[in-house]
Amino acid sequence: MRLLVVEDQSLLRQQLVLGLTRHGYVVDDAADGKAGLYFASEFAYDAAIIDLGLPLLDGISLIRQIRAQGKTFPILILTARGDWQDKVEGLDAGADDYVVKPFQLEEILARLNALLRRAAGFAKSLIEFGPIALDITSKRVTLGGLGVELTAYEYKLLEYLMLHPGQVVSKTELTEHLYAQDYDRDSNVLEVFVRRLRQKLDPQDTLHPIETIRGQGYRFRTDA
Amino acid sequence: MSATTRTSDYSLQTRLLTAVSVLLTLFLGLTGVVLDRAFRSSVEAGVAQQLQVQLYVLLSAVEEDNGQFYFLEDLREPRFSQLNSGLYALVSSPAQQELLRSPSALERNFDDLFGRWAGLGRGETFFAREVAADGEEYFIAAYGVVWENGEDQYDFVVMESTGTSVAEINNFRASLWSWLGGVAVLLLVLQLLLLRWGLSPLRRLAEDLKRIESGASEQLTGAYPLELRPVTENLNLLIKTERKQQARYRETLGDLAHSLKTPLAVIAGVMNGLSEKTAAAPAAVNEEQIRTVEEQLERMNQIVGYQLQRAVKSTGSTALARRVDVLDVARRILKALQKVYAERQVEVVCDIEPGLVFLGDERDLMEVLGNVLDNAFKYGGHWLAISARVTQVPSRQLSIVVEDDGPGISATHQEFVLQRGARLDTLVQGQGIGLAVVTDIVGSYGGQIDVGTGQRGGARIQLVFQNFQTTDITASRS
Repeated sequence: MRLLVVEDQSLLRQQLVLGLTRHGYVVDDAADGKAGLYFASEFAYDAAIIDLGLPLLDGISLIRQIRAQGKTFPILILTARGDWQDKVEGLDAGADDYVVKPFQLEEILARLNALLRRAAGFAKSLIEFGPIALDITSKRVTLGGLGVELTAYEYKLLEYLMLHPGQVVSKTELTEHLYAQDYDRDSNVLEVFVRRLRQKLDPQDTLHPIETIRGQGYRFRTDA
Repeated sequence: MSATTRTSDYSLQTRLLTAVSVLLTLFLGLTGVVLDRAFRSSVEAGVAQQLQVQLYVLLSAVEEDNGQFYFLEDLREPRFSQLNSGLYALVSSPAQQELLRSPSALERNFDDLFGRWAGLGRGETFFAREVAADGEEYFIAAYGVVWENGEDQYDFVVMESTGTSVAEINNFRASLWSWLGGVAVLLLVLQLLLLRWGLSPLRRLAEDLKRIESGASEQLTGAYPLELRPVTENLNLLIKTERKQQARYRETLGDLAHSLKTPLAVIAGVMNGLSEKTAAAPAAVNEEQIRTVEEQLERMNQIVGYQLQRAVKSTGSTALARRVDVLDVARRILKALQKVYAERQVEVVCDIEPGLVFLGDERDLMEVLGNVLDNAFKYGGHWLAISARVTQVPSRQLSIVVEDDGPGISATHQEFVLQRGARLDTLVQGQGIGLAVVTDIVGSYGGQIDVGTGQRGGARIQLVFQNFQTTDITASRS
């Protein structure tokens, strides 16, 4: 999952980036509204965390402009004052939820999870397709009720595919959402991860949960 | 820089005085010119009339014999006989030749004046003001006469030097302008005094404000004229509001400092214990101590949040209030909250009379409704209702009720919520600050808050305000 963090206080921004990265997100960060708008326009994100008090372009205007560009990814706002006028304005502008400063990283993670889930159209934190179940909150995967050990990247890949079930997801899209910018796109790491996932999720080779669509990408089968 | 100088030089008194001076000068000047002209023409008319009389005198005193003219008798007007008296008589032939002149004119040279009255018909008169070759100016009256039994026409001419009339006019002019000047000065001085008297309340206002600034006075107390009263009353209100705000800042700061001390002391104690234990056995840093520090940090965070909200909220004064549409604010908050709590799938019933206007700060109403509705979403089940209407019992007031179908608020908490301005350090651990802020704001508007159990068993919060208006929606939208 690729996230955009726009926050002008550098210490807080670093803490956020560090914390989110540690929890498996790919994070781009911007220190002001204009840079934030540039990132949001140029790259595809799964969600954004935007502070309301930003230099150059304030948070509310930034959110409005992002929405005006037709981007629908969920936006979480950070507000320092915490008064309702700020919250209502931010939500009116197109944000989806708010967190009042100071906050615990856990709170941000919980809100983000809920937003990502909601954006993907799932009401619960547990996503199930056949015997395969993925819990976004605890980041655990089970097969027929038994835990499946996945590496961080394997989990990220599966989470992204399961949040877009039935859709063909291109390799480029996967790479963008799973890795930081400077990742070597020509490598075959993705293929390796998919092969390992298939082995772990379908040891008997009967479910075929991840299809390869030749020349287009991968698809998570909803009837797996 | 120049702008500031200009602003500081700007004076109401100077402005009015300049305007009045210009007006006065124009008015008096015009009056003077008109009077001067009227006087001059009346003097000239008088002279013309006099000369006409002299002409008849001349006619009766002159006799002709074979084209020779001579005076029959002494002219009755003595000035005709005195040399250079200023009054002269002439008789001239049709060929503009002088035939006779009065003794007074013997030394005068009228050569270039002949011809001025040429072409005068029989019985016609001529009157003009002319300058002779020697620079002397004359009023000239001429009369065309044809003698009995004769055919030739002769012109009888009487001339009077303008010196006397000019002197008379000049005298009049001098006295006229000195009078007008005197009147102008008098009026200006009067005007200045009037202005100073009229503007004195403004000066007094400035002095009063200065006294307030220096702390010698609290309010504008003087008796001000009717026109200034709205200004002074609003200024007083502003000063009062400002004072209240200041007092609240002070109070908030004091409360903040005071209430932060307890958790700080707890943390200091824990840290103290920790340093002792870690020195003895590093593994002794246990979960409980970490939790205590975390709890205290959370508490401090809540305290700061609560005091911050208390400090920034408005004073709740209705006199300088703005008009806030209750339905509009409620709808915006509901829309925002429905987004945040989208997953809860809460059924919202919004029953707010259109046209209800809250007289106060929009931020305050938003804070109140935001906190109450947020609680209803957070702690309620899948249903909540907000209603706002004007009730007549016990008095005409605005009643806003928010209900949910959650577990409700326990009796002990209800009691706490109703304590106005309760300090957060007296608060039960884990209690949110939302309702405490709501109580504070509602109280500052002189309103009431009532916490109870709703028809579906959940919390029921009723807010009652006096500061409201109802407007005709069709009128307000047109």
